[in-house]
Amino acid sequence: MRTMALLDEANQVRTEEMLLNVGPQHPSTHGVFRLLVKISGETILDADPVIGYLHRGTEKLAEDLQYTQIIPYTDRLDYLAAMLNNYAFCHAVEEALDIQVPERAEYLRVILMEMQRIASHLLFIGTYLLDLGAMSPFLYVFQERERIVQLFNEISGARLTYNFMRIGGVKYDAPPGWLDKVRAFVPFMREKIKMYDSLITGNEIFLDRTRGVGVYDAETALAYGMSGINLRSTGFDWDLRRKKPYSIYDRFDFAVPLGQHGDCFDRYYLHLLEMGESLKIVEQALEQIPDTGPVLGKVPRLIRIPAGEYYSGIEGARGELGFFIVSDGKDKPYRLKIRKPSFVNLQLLPRLLRGQNMANLIAILGAVDIVLGEVDA
Amino acid sequence: MSEEQPQRPAAPTKAARGQEAGGKAAAGAASAAGRAANKQPPAPDPRVLAAREQAERLSQAVVEQFGPEAVLESGAAHHKPMLRIVRERWLDAVDYLRTHPDWRLNYVECMAGTDYADRIEVVLFVQSTELGHFVCLKTQTPRDEAWLPSLVPAHPGVNWEEREIYDLLGVDFRGHPDLRRIMLDDDFVGHPLRKDYSVWAETERPLVDGQRP
Repeated sequence: MRTMALLDEANQVRTEEMLLNVGPQHPSTHGVFRLLVKISGETILDADPVIGYLHRGTEKLAEDLQYTQIIPYTDRLDYLAAMLNNYAFCHAVEEALDIQVPERAEYLRVILMEMQRIASHLLFIGTYLLDLGAMSPFLYVFQERERIVQLFNEISGARLTYNFMRIGGVKYDAPPGWLDKVRAFVPFMREKIKMYDSLITGNEIFLDRTRGVGVYDAETALAYGMSGINLRSTGFDWDLRRKKPYSIYDRFDFAVPLGQHGDCFDRYYLHLLEMGESLKIVEQALEQIPDTGPVLGKVPRLIRIPAGEYYSGIEGARGELGFFIVSDGKDKPYRLKIRKPSFVNLQLLPRLLRGQNMANLIAILGAVDIVLGEVDA
Repeated sequence: MSEEQPQRPAAPTKAARGQEAGGKAAAGAASAAGRAANKQPPAPDPRVLAAREQAERLSQAVVEQFGPEAVLESGAAHHKPMLRIVRERWLDAVDYLRTHPDWRLNYVECMAGTDYADRIEVVLFVQSTELGHFVCLKTQTPRDEAWLPSLVPAHPGVNWEEREIYDLLGVDFRGHPDLRRIMLDDDFVGHPLRKDYSVWAETERPLVDGQRP
């Protein structure tokens, strides 16, 4: 890294080092995220991410809450994928207590989680394209997302923070006709994915902005603990739904799309491909789901976890989402630690930005796919 | 599950928490221990036994490399092999397990700090992407003058996790390249995840010239 760039090699212009403040209130930071960038001309010399503006102390709050009371707090971590957060927490408690979840509840959960993944990926595509200057995809994605949100609203009564999963199952059974609506959504969404593919993927301006930008290799990604699409874009096959199957993911046939170059374009394209794979899972789950049955297993009224330490992680929309519970045998956790994928994935950012053109900052930051509610917890 | 309870040095925690909650907590702990005692003889969970065996093998490897005082304890943390390493050897042992071809623990899953009454414990869940095994490594430090060697030279990905533990639990990670608060303001006083931190501290502190110091 150059500490002082006096001559911009390309243009042979004298430049001066300058400190630029991006955020905390900036549309492309997707929340309250601040980036202190040291630039020389248009070249980034160094970047220092400043986070914590949305820190609510969820981990501290959880120490005073019973296990079921923590579920609504998980909604507010990654607020674009609240179902996955709900599940990750309930799953950690179920693992600790060896609770059996009824079949129908498992299928409902999988359907909801994969629909949530689609909704979250849709929003990524919309906002990412908006960051890069394309307005229309952002408006388009909200149409499909609205259908998912409506379906979620029908089953859970909420559009964003669902508080729907329970330890041992789900809160409500699907209302009559709900599963048919989901069934109708699958081919609709498939068509839309094709539309996005033809609308965005081949766009020359988009390719210029993302191809070969923000490249890192699998070794770096692993050393930095990255997970999810950020890791898979390097071609490294790591999806917890496959590697450590939880819930009933071993019953479905789906592929894990992998990138080749580890650049921003691969990260965008994997989001698109993963939506198709999620649809496959939803389709199979709709076929296999039992018609009737309980949706909440036999769970003690007051949940106490035997003293010990428990960790379990799931494949969230942004990477490995894990909950680490330390219990002293009471009905509240002694300590709850959240393994936040956005938080871990964001660490590589300064390294990716060094030496890049200023305009690439937005492209690289957007492709990391962060949600500040999760980064700051 | 509860089978590994005897392995876990939970006694100081319970004793300390028993003080605040009185006999209720002690009774709860006793009944939990009673349940565990009832369960244990008929069905030792094979997953726990396998984890303990693996932890024993890991422990031998680390002891061979760094001497018997490097490992404080080996056991299971809910189906996962657990190894408690002395803090002076924390970085060396983690780096050894990362690079050695038998273990190749190269991918950090989660790092967490916990405040117990008598110590602060840091847990590292680390796995091998090549060999597919999973280990829970632990170390501990006294609460006053809490310091640990930083793992950033071995796993750059724990950089922010260590900053978070420093911020919320007040552990000084020696050798960390950039140890600053990450979640809270730079001028924040105290470490909120410590058990003796009062959430009312802000209002308890007396005013000095109309402002809180």
